[in-house]
Amino acid sequence: MPQVALEAAPFRVAIDDVGDRLTLQGALDIRTLAQAQRLLNEWRRQRKLRVLALGKLSALDTPGALFLCGLRNSGMELADVRAEHKALLDLVGGLELKPLPRLKHVPRWRQLVIQLGKGADDAWHATIEFITFVGHAASLIGNALMHPRSLRLASISRHIAETGIEALPIVGLMAVMISIVIGYQSVAQLRPLGGEDFTVNLVAVSVLREMGVLITAIMVAGRSGSAFTAEIGVMKMREEIDALEVMGLDPMQMLVVPRLIGLVIALPLLAFFADMMGLLGGAMISFSLLDVSPLQYLERVKSAVDGWDLFVGLFKAPVFAFCIAVIGCMHGLRVTGSAESVGQETTRAVVKAIFLVIVLDALFSILFEQLGI
Amino acid sequence: MTVRTPHPRESILSARGIVNRFGKQVVHDHISLDILAGEIIGIAGGSGSGKSVLLKTLTGLRRPNAGEVLLTDKKIDAIGPDVKAALIGVLFQQGALFSSLSVAQNITLPIREHTDLPAAEQEAIAVMKLALAGLPVDSGIKFPSELSGGMIKRAALARALALDPRILFLDEPTSGLDPLIAGGIDALILQLNQNLGVTVVVVTHDLTTLFTICDRIAVLADRKVYVDTPHNLMRSDHPWIHEFFHGPRAEGAEHGALIARKQGHGSR
Repeated sequence: MPQVALEAAPFRVAIDDVGDRLTLQGALDIRTLAQAQRLLNEWRRQRKLRVLALGKLSALDTPGALFLCGLRNSGMELADVRAEHKALLDLVGGLELKPLPRLKHVPRWRQLVIQLGKGADDAWHATIEFITFVGHAASLIGNALMHPRSLRLASISRHIAETGIEALPIVGLMAVMISIVIGYQSVAQLRPLGGEDFTVNLVAVSVLREMGVLITAIMVAGRSGSAFTAEIGVMKMREEIDALEVMGLDPMQMLVVPRLIGLVIALPLLAFFADMMGLLGGAMISFSLLDVSPLQYLERVKSAVDGWDLFVGLFKAPVFAFCIAVIGCMHGLRVTGSAESVGQETTRAVVKAIFLVIVLDALFSILFEQLGI
Repeated sequence: MTVRTPHPRESILSARGIVNRFGKQVVHDHISLDILAGEIIGIAGGSGSGKSVLLKTLTGLRRPNAGEVLLTDKKIDAIGPDVKAALIGVLFQQGALFSSLSVAQNITLPIREHTDLPAAEQEAIAVMKLALAGLPVDSGIKFPSELSGGMIKRAALARALALDPRILFLDEPTSGLDPLIAGGIDALILQLNQNLGVTVVVVTHDLTTLFTICDRIAVLADRKVYVDTPHNLMRSDHPWIHEFFHGPRAEGAEHGALIARKQGHGSR
């Protein structure tokens, strides 16, 4: 009697053949199912099979039973079925099985058009939502400032600590690095012209006017903007926002306003710290590349920079802070039920916040240029 | 390595001298528990008595501070992930369905990872599991966030059954469901136990579930475990167990379970 066996540790399926009758041996379960199917198809190609004997089957699970029921429905006779296998076959055979409904296929070009339309619609709604949210937040802040007692000082100070103080090391390090980069580039560009002494001016002015605050804002958008979205998003997911509303507490007032005020206070301070660290980086680069002593460096900075440079830089910080906090909180409140949507909204919030910071910075540059400061 | 099918009434999973502690707080103090092949065993206990910790220990998700868990006579840590997946299925309390996948994809995920069946075949198996769990076929293309509480439990049960495990762990399968749907879940568990021969370990403090479907109950109290049939536990003189089975809600539940049994819900 020819026998075909397949070893699939720890399971095994074997089929032996007597005319049009095959005997299944071993365990027919989800692991051996693919092999059993392959094997059976080979046999069927060789000759017509009518009967499948299951008496030697040591184990059968539901996918195996499903497969056997399929064979039975296509006209194969199942013989020599053990009682425990029969119960399983009856159970699975008795289930009403229909294929999964298919989603309607849409041609590629139509998908494109639909996506374009949806995208435009989404952008329009997002803009409206953003403006509404900004208005709502601004009115709440105005209200809070009119009634200072309603301010949640504990909450605000926690956010100042989380978004400001904890970010000091990384922001300081980035500021030093960026001024080293600017310093190196300016020395390389100015030396052939004999103007390398102006490196100090270039570093000091660019750090104070632009780089300090920009680097800080980008860092904070990535660090705290995303945290706002994730925190509020998870609260939304776990119905904590609804719980607040039921208690008669305004989530905007409780969650958004403290974060907004906290960041508007923290970001300018952080930016000032970044400015100082940037100047420190400038001192380091001047000392090592140009042999300018720290005292000389300070003198040079004093003559190169006037009060406006610092003001122009720091003036932008609260505006950036407002944008980052509003976008972070708004996307947090847009989270729906799934874990995926927390991720999506966080990504969107960070991208949008950094984008907006850079756009605003460009607008500010033009504005200050026109004003002549 | 072959996995032996234990005879009925033979231990398929046993915990020996389990100690679990968090800091100085001891949750389990040298607990031993045998789970017999083919039975439905309930794990009961007050809130904070360590039911979920015991479940995590029994499924090998948590390594106990002392003691060992033997699954089919092998240490659970020594069993490879492939074999373990074929032996154990878990229904988590909140369902733990992957929210980015549809229900059918949730069921096919373990099948896809552990076998080399073609996609159409996997889908057919998923549809069968849905039917076994009592869900209509069109719930397969829904996402977990679109399901009601009862449907989430059923979908999670269908996923726990994906690889036809020998032991099914159910963490609070009826919590948060209305009595009718909870009764349906109870009936479903019984049916799966009888038709598929799957051993069921059900963590619950739903007294109706305990009385209706469990062959034995393991009660966690005072950091120890007391295992017996519901009938004998009713007569226990341990103060907490007595309180648990004779509290104001217990009498009603027992009554309800009796009715359910008479109606053939739990015909055993």
